[in-house]
Amino acid sequence: MVSSRYTFSQMVRIVLAVGWSDFVLKYRGSVLGYLWSLLAPLAKFLVIYYVFKPLVGGAIPQYSLYLFLGIIMWEHFTVTTTHCMSALQEKQAFFLKIPFPRLVIMFIVGWTNMIIFLTHFFIFIVFLLFTGDIYIMPWLYVPVILLHMTLLALGVGMLLASYCLKYRDLLHLWGILSQVLFWLTPITYAYKLDTPISQQWRSMLSMMYHPSLHTAFDLFVQFQPLSLLIYDMRRVTLYAADLAFPSVAHIGGVTLLLTAFCTVAAVIFQRRSRYFIEEY
Amino acid sequence: MRIPVRHLQERILLPHRKKDMWTTKAVHDVSLELSEGEWVGIYGPNGCGKTTLLRMLAGLLTPDSGSVHCDTDASCFFELSIGFHEERTAAENVRMHAMLQGLNRRETEAVLQSVYNFAGIEDHWDLPMKCYSTGMRFRVGFAVATAAPSPLLLLDEILAVGDAHFQERCKERLAHLKRSGHSALVVSHGIGDLERMCDRILFMEKGQIVEEKRASPSLSGVKE
Repeated sequence: MVSSRYTFSQMVRIVLAVGWSDFVLKYRGSVLGYLWSLLAPLAKFLVIYYVFKPLVGGAIPQYSLYLFLGIIMWEHFTVTTTHCMSALQEKQAFFLKIPFPRLVIMFIVGWTNMIIFLTHFFIFIVFLLFTGDIYIMPWLYVPVILLHMTLLALGVGMLLASYCLKYRDLLHLWGILSQVLFWLTPITYAYKLDTPISQQWRSMLSMMYHPSLHTAFDLFVQFQPLSLLIYDMRRVTLYAADLAFPSVAHIGGVTLLLTAFCTVAAVIFQRRSRYFIEEY
Repeated sequence: MRIPVRHLQERILLPHRKKDMWTTKAVHDVSLELSEGEWVGIYGPNGCGKTTLLRMLAGLLTPDSGSVHCDTDASCFFELSIGFHEERTAAENVRMHAMLQGLNRRETEAVLQSVYNFAGIEDHWDLPMKCYSTGMRFRVGFAVATAAPSPLLLLDEILAVGDAHFQERCKERLAHLKRSGHSALVVSHGIGDLERMCDRILFMEKGQIVEEKRASPSLSGVKE
């Protein structure tokens, strides 16, 4: 019996206000404050840059920015998905006491983490201004890719959150899976989509005639959504002069698929959320 | 309404246990109706299903069988703490609560002002809740619970708040709500409080209503 007072604009207001409030609160009282959000990706960046620069740095132009962008996009994905699960515990008191639309909490998580990502992305832009050329036109794609990132992270996060109270192992399992996924995402090494995805599917089918673990990993790295999103972001921000922009069909197709995925995840979350109180 | 009492881990590790040990029957075969302006109390020992019943009525829990019909908006308040965040100030907590209750900007500001006036914690208003005493938290909780209520109130253990003077003010506030036509379902361990404010009292035991008693409330006569 969720009240009829929750209009769309009311929910947007809740998401924006509570998301911002959670962002401020997250670092309240700590000495370094917001800087903590930077330290994790920065530490990862420094170590990986030190190790991988001699190995792949020569083959990838502007490797430091290539790596930094990959890491902050990865951090956004992994922190958002994990936060979707932990938010059920953090906001337990609200779940137990107020009959509001549960989906709001997931969007609050998405907004809070998008704020953090945007600050990291701003730092990336500052570095880019110092070290590379910026072409204005391709940057028009950036908001769409940010939307793709949010849809993907929230979709996965909502699916995980739907079942993490019932299956308590899920949080631990996701911790391990995300470590594996980090290395199966082209963050540190080269990735290129030379031909449109629609044509690549054909070569994928031919690869399946000779199955092997290596082929399976290759296919996964090539087609998993994070690879595509990171590649799209890199080609419009870093390599606009050398690589083709994403086509309208590509952007439209990805938007459609991710919207459908996020909608299905939201429906599942909404249905499962009625059991959360019993499962606490 | 059956509530799970065992996690999946226990179910896997101890599969020989009977399935009926995985859940407990919290509320069973309960039927009640609340008229406009009526105040009904629910009384019973710990674990008898009072809060579960209230949560079902609030829409927080879905009954396994049966249904809940409600023609109006409801405000529900459980145990007064509401979910205050220790690092947030009272104002921030009240604003957050009001938003999650679905109030708009104007209503939220009205709630803030009302809570500020009623709770009597002017010195602490802008301090984090961790600086509050237990009594002060209850004051804020009660003030929030009764600041901008819907026509139907679902109240769980919100009585016995603060010192004698503040308790008098609480009773006055409840009397005012009753006079202004709000309906309420009130869960309490204090039978005296329920008799003073409710028109009917339902006695629960082991998830069922075992007795119903008419009362002659005196609360509506309390001067505000």
